[in-house]
Amino acid sequence: MVAVKRGPRPAQERLRRLLVMLPWLMQRGDVSLAEMAHHFALTENEVIADLELAALCGLPPFVDEMIDVFIDDGMVYAGIPRVFTKPLRLTAPEGFALLIAGRAAMSMPGAEPDGPLGRALTKLAATLGDDGLVVDLERPAIADRIATAVDAGERLVMTYWTPARDESSEREIIPRAVFTDRGHWYVLADDERSGAERSFRLDRILDLHPTGEFEARRVVVLPDTQRWFADDADVERVTLRLPTDSLWQIERYPVDSIEADASDPAMSIAVMPVASEQWLSRLLLRLGRDTAVVEPARWQMLAASTATDVLAAYERVKPAS
Amino acid sequence: MAEPLERLTNLLALLLETRRPLTLQQITAELVGQYPVNDHALRGAFERDKSVLRDIGVPIEQQVLSGNDAGKTAYRIDRRRYELADLDLTDDERHALQLAVAAVRTDDQWGQEGLWKLGVGGDRPSRSVAATVPTFVALPVLREAVAARATVSFGYRDVGRILDPFGLLLRDGYWYVIGYDHGHDEVRTFRVDRIDGAVSAGNSGSFERPVDFDIRAVFPSDPKLLGDPETEITHATVRIAAQRAALVAGEVGEVAVTRRHSDGSIDVEVPCLNRDAFRSWVLGLTDHAVVVAPDEVRADVVAWLGQIAGDADATTAGQG
Repeated sequence: MVAVKRGPRPAQERLRRLLVMLPWLMQRGDVSLAEMAHHFALTENEVIADLELAALCGLPPFVDEMIDVFIDDGMVYAGIPRVFTKPLRLTAPEGFALLIAGRAAMSMPGAEPDGPLGRALTKLAATLGDDGLVVDLERPAIADRIATAVDAGERLVMTYWTPARDESSEREIIPRAVFTDRGHWYVLADDERSGAERSFRLDRILDLHPTGEFEARRVVVLPDTQRWFADDADVERVTLRLPTDSLWQIERYPVDSIEADASDPAMSIAVMPVASEQWLSRLLLRLGRDTAVVEPARWQMLAASTATDVLAAYERVKPAS
Repeated sequence: MAEPLERLTNLLALLLETRRPLTLQQITAELVGQYPVNDHALRGAFERDKSVLRDIGVPIEQQVLSGNDAGKTAYRIDRRRYELADLDLTDDERHALQLAVAAVRTDDQWGQEGLWKLGVGGDRPSRSVAATVPTFVALPVLREAVAARATVSFGYRDVGRILDPFGLLLRDGYWYVIGYDHGHDEVRTFRVDRIDGAVSAGNSGSFERPVDFDIRAVFPSDPKLLGDPETEITHATVRIAAQRAALVAGEVGEVAVTRRHSDGSIDVEVPCLNRDAFRSWVLGLTDHAVVVAPDEVRADVVAWLGQIAGDADATTAGQG
């Protein structure tokens, strides 16, 4: 067992863990120290320390039984007083977390409404009181196809639109995971073209074909979408001056900093990484005339020139009436 | 003095086992030598212990005594409120919950803590499907208030709100709480991440939720549908250039495609009740999307663009 070096755990955390350990021990009977440490994500030494301390507790006459624990040859033997044979009820956050996890999983590809998860949720809801909690992941139909391909390790060919370059192209991928974050669905895949792992937005896949070729499955670590390009120091930054009440429009994107504008309390200064010039021009169009690029200078006219281009399209395409 | 963990465990056991509520005096008499002797230090230590127990969810009840001990506060824990109710989960149901928690990415450990109580532990299973779900401390409080029909109060955009919460909805990566807003005398929607500070809940059973309440109906799936119900214009027709036609048709659905042109461009009919959301959507397509009808909506977008372009005459482009 690898000992993880960390500071001493606070009494509150140790008590919380102890209150789930004791009922678990009671139910399991004799158990190996290694299994117990693994179950509770602790080191064996931490388990020993907590159990030894627990053995000191117990108070006649109110508690006529002591917590009786001894550890011998890697095995834990315990006698648990009646007072600690059941876990503490779920806290509000714990109940909430289990319900939303269950509800979210029910709206993922492969969920079975009548399966064990559905039954577990019904039991949880009966205890916690549950209605009016809706997790809406709104997955596109293609998500299920890709999830099936992930499980099979199937190589796929897709037509993918890249907004940064405004072009669509055919790409071969081996899908490894499907995930949703901040309202969008993605596939994390081995990308043939770049020879690396890449995430693709499902709503930008214009077409998808199976190849009939299969690869071994591979467990991947999902990326943190908030940091995709934000962490890249090479990515250019833009400094925007925008109305403070428009800040919500940029909150979906990574932002380096947001500060109040010292000269005008209604305005804010935001520094953001720029995915591409096309991306920035779309953002500026949405923000409108009250937003200005402070720097770099070459983007100060970007909003006006993009707006002019779009207005030209309005000149070409006349109203229907 | 005892280690903090030992004293906490003993205090917990004592309050669970006692039949009658105990005063601080009686508690210290039982927990011999575990609390400081000095009265001031004793009270401080006891308050800290109580708050640690309450923080982890232990329901400590207190009452003010009468009779011989009149005026003194006494404490106990009701075992029925303390213990986890028997959920009768089968092994496969437990496993399903573990997989569900593993498929949801959050910034906290709440799910794992809950699983431990249900007897589930060990390595987090790896999942090939996952969802990131944002969580906020206000959410569990709001969920319990919805379930208990308890009126809540919170600050929102610098104003105190009083709300009968009807439901919580996660959509598009944001949490919303929807309910009857006492101050505005109507059903309103609030973004949970914009709530300032703590949410406090009142008594259970303080309101009744309308029997026909359907959170999905109150909150339309398309943000372009949200908005001012006063306006009569609900839909706009947008010409999508050939380069984006497939992408947009996939997004809005084939039923929304009202016309296909020989150059590959298409006309789609999309909701525009929420003009801000509509404009944002159209502008995201830059010069690949042009509003062709109705005139009022087209003029609105053209005026917006004209202001950005800095061209006072730009509005003429909107006219036929």
